[in-house]
Amino acid sequence: MPSSVEIGQAILSGLLLGGAYAVLSAGFSLTWGVTKVINLSHTVFALVGSYIAFWLLRFLGVEPILSLVIIIPLLFLCGLAMHGIIKQTAKRAKEITPASLVLTFGLFIVTENILLITCKADPRLITTSYSGKALFLDKVALPISSLISFALAAVTIAALYLFLHYTYTGKAVQAVWQDKAGAMLSGIDTSRVTAITYGVALASAGVGGVCMGLIYAIDPTIHLSWLIFIFLVTVLGGVGSIIGAAIAGLLMGLVIGLTGAFLPYAWVNLVLFISLIILLLVRPQGLFQR
Amino acid sequence: MNWSNKRVMKWLMLVCALALLVPLAVVGCTKPSPPSEEPIVIGGSLPLTGVFAETAKWIEKGYRYWAEDINAKGGLLGRPVELIIYDDASSVEKAVTLLEKAITVDKVDLLLGGYPGTACVAQMPVAEKYGMAYISMGGHMPSFEQGYKYSFGSPPLMGQWWAEGLGPYLETLPKEERPKSAAIITMNNVIGESCRESIVNWMNKLDISILVDEYYDLPLASADALVSKCKESGAEAMFANGFLADGALTVRSMKALKYNPKLLFQSVGCLVPAWVEELGEDANYVFSGTGLHHKLPYPEVQRLNAVAKEKWDIDYAPDYFLFGCCWMQTLQCGVEGAGSLDNTAIKDYLHTHEISLIHGKFTFDEKGLPPSYTYLTQVLNGEVELVWPPEVASTKAVYPKPAWAE
Repeated sequence: MPSSVEIGQAILSGLLLGGAYAVLSAGFSLTWGVTKVINLSHTVFALVGSYIAFWLLRFLGVEPILSLVIIIPLLFLCGLAMHGIIKQTAKRAKEITPASLVLTFGLFIVTENILLITCKADPRLITTSYSGKALFLDKVALPISSLISFALAAVTIAALYLFLHYTYTGKAVQAVWQDKAGAMLSGIDTSRVTAITYGVALASAGVGGVCMGLIYAIDPTIHLSWLIFIFLVTVLGGVGSIIGAAIAGLLMGLVIGLTGAFLPYAWVNLVLFISLIILLLVRPQGLFQR
Repeated sequence: MNWSNKRVMKWLMLVCALALLVPLAVVGCTKPSPPSEEPIVIGGSLPLTGVFAETAKWIEKGYRYWAEDINAKGGLLGRPVELIIYDDASSVEKAVTLLEKAITVDKVDLLLGGYPGTACVAQMPVAEKYGMAYISMGGHMPSFEQGYKYSFGSPPLMGQWWAEGLGPYLETLPKEERPKSAAIITMNNVIGESCRESIVNWMNKLDISILVDEYYDLPLASADALVSKCKESGAEAMFANGFLADGALTVRSMKALKYNPKLLFQSVGCLVPAWVEELGEDANYVFSGTGLHHKLPYPEVQRLNAVAKEKWDIDYAPDYFLFGCCWMQTLQCGVEGAGSLDNTAIKDYLHTHEISLIHGKFTFDEKGLPPSYTYLTQVLNGEVELVWPPEVASTKAVYPKPAWAE
C-alpha cells in the first residue's frame, strides 16, 4: 500500500501534468469545434514553441515565460497562414474534415522533419535557474518548473475563456461554431473569425509547448505522444469546450497519478484509455460538449 | 630445280622446328597480365538521416576510415575495398530492403553492420538467409538466440551484460559499505528489459533487496511520482533503465525531491556529451556501462583518438566511430583468416579462432558472442571515465554519491 506521501505526490504531480495537457488541448478542441478541422499538426507547432523557448534560453538566456512574447505572435501568424491554406482546400474538397486531416498530417510530417534537420534528434531539456528545485508541502514536493507550467496553463485557459465569453470577437467565434449560417446572416465575417480561431488556437499551442517543455524532455518526434493525449482530453472534455479541456486535462493527470501510485506504473496508459472508453460509453459527447 | 631428298628434309625439319620454337619463344618473352584490380565491395545501410543520424554518421566515418586505412596498406586480400552505404533514414523496413538490395542487386562481396539494436535485429535474418557474415552490435540477447550462424556481435549491444562492470566493482567494496537496497525503474521496451535482467541478477547475487521495481512507458512525462516511490522506499541504490531523455528527467526529479541514494546507475544515454550538456553538474557521479571507450589504454584505441583529432579536430574518437572501426576490423580478421571472400569460410574462421581487435583479443561462441564483459563508467567532472576493471580504469570510482550540487 503506498504511503500518504506517495499518494500525495502522485496526485499533485498528476494535476500539475494535467494542467499542461489542458492548455495544449484547448486550442485543438477550439479548432475542431468551430471549424470542424482536426488539426493533426497542432502539437508539432506546440513543439516549435518549445524549441523556440529552448534556443532562446540556451543562446540568449531568455526565460521561457518571456519567450512567449515571440512565440505567441509568431504562432498566431502561423495559424492565420494555416487558415489560408485550409480555406483553399475547403473550396475544392467535398468534406472539410477528411481533407483537413490529410493536409494537417502533411504539415505535421514537414514540420517534424524541419525540426529534425535544424534541431537534431537529441533530446533537449529546458533547464532554468529553478530546474531541479521544489517547494515542499510537508514531504510532498512541488517542482517549481511544474508549478510555473501549471500557472501558465491556468492563466492561458482563463484568458481563452474570457476571450470567448467577454469579447465581441470571442462571441463571434462562438456564434460561428453554433450556427455558421446564422452568424453570416448576422453580419459576422466568418472567414475572419475562423482565421482568428486558427491564430488563437496555434498561439495557445505555443503556450502549451512551453508548458510541456518545462516538464518533458523534448525531441522532434515527441509531439506524436502529445497528440494522442490531446485527442483523449478533447474527446473526454467535449469537442469545442475550453472548460471541458481544462477539466479533462486535470482529470487525466489525476488518473495518471493515482494509477501510478496504486498499480504498476506500466498500467497507466492502459487504465487511462479504458477509463476513456467507459466514459464514452456512458457519455459519448464528452463531459462538457454542448 | 633439282632438290635432293636430303635437302628437302633439312628444310622441312627447319620449318617444323621454327613452327614449334617461335610460339614458345613468343610466349616466354611476353610479360604475364597483371592481377585484376577489381575492388571488394562491402555494402549495407545506416540511418544517415532521421532520428539516429547523429550517431550513425560516426559509424559511417568509422567504416570509411577503415576502408581508407586498409586501402592505403594494400587492400584486403591484395584488393582495394569499396563501400556502398545506403541511407535507411532510421527506418527498420528500409534497412531490411536496402540490405536485400545490396545482396541481390549490387551483389556485394561482404556486408556492413546496420544501426545497433533497431536495424541490426531486422537485418540479421536477412544475412542468415543469404549466408553472409554480418558483424554488428546486434540487439541484445534475444537477437543472438535465434540460431544465426553468420551474425557476430563485436562488440555486441548486450543489455543483459550491462551490470557486468558494476557488479564486480560492488563486490570489491566491504559488505557494510555496499548499498543494502535498490530501486529499479525501467522503460517498457526490449532495451530496458535487457538491462534490468542484468541488474536484477547482480542485486540477487550481492544480496541487495529490490524495494521498487517499476516499468514505465515512453515518453516519460514526469518522473516525480516514480522517484517519490523510490525515495519513500529508502532504497540506497537507484537504477534508471531509460534513455537519455527520461534519465535526465529522473535525475532532475531526484534532485528536486531531495533523493540522494548512495549509487545512481543510468543504463543508456549518460555516455554522450548531451548528458552533461543538459544536466550540468547534476550529470556527475552517474554509473553506466559500455563495450568500448576512447579511454581504453590500448594502442589502437589511442591511435584512433589521434586520427579523430587530426581529421575532425575533436579531442577523442566518439564511441560510435570506434564501434564502426571494430566491426570492420572483425570482418577483416575473418576474411584474412579464411583467406577468401567465401562467407561460410569467414563465419567458420570467426567461430573457431581468437582475433585481435582494437580493444583486445576475442573469441566468439556458437551464438556469435564474445565472453561477457562490460566496462564500468562514471561521469566525473563532466567527463565519462572508466572506473572498472582496474586494468583499464582511467580513474577511481567515487562512491558513495556526494550531495546534489547547489
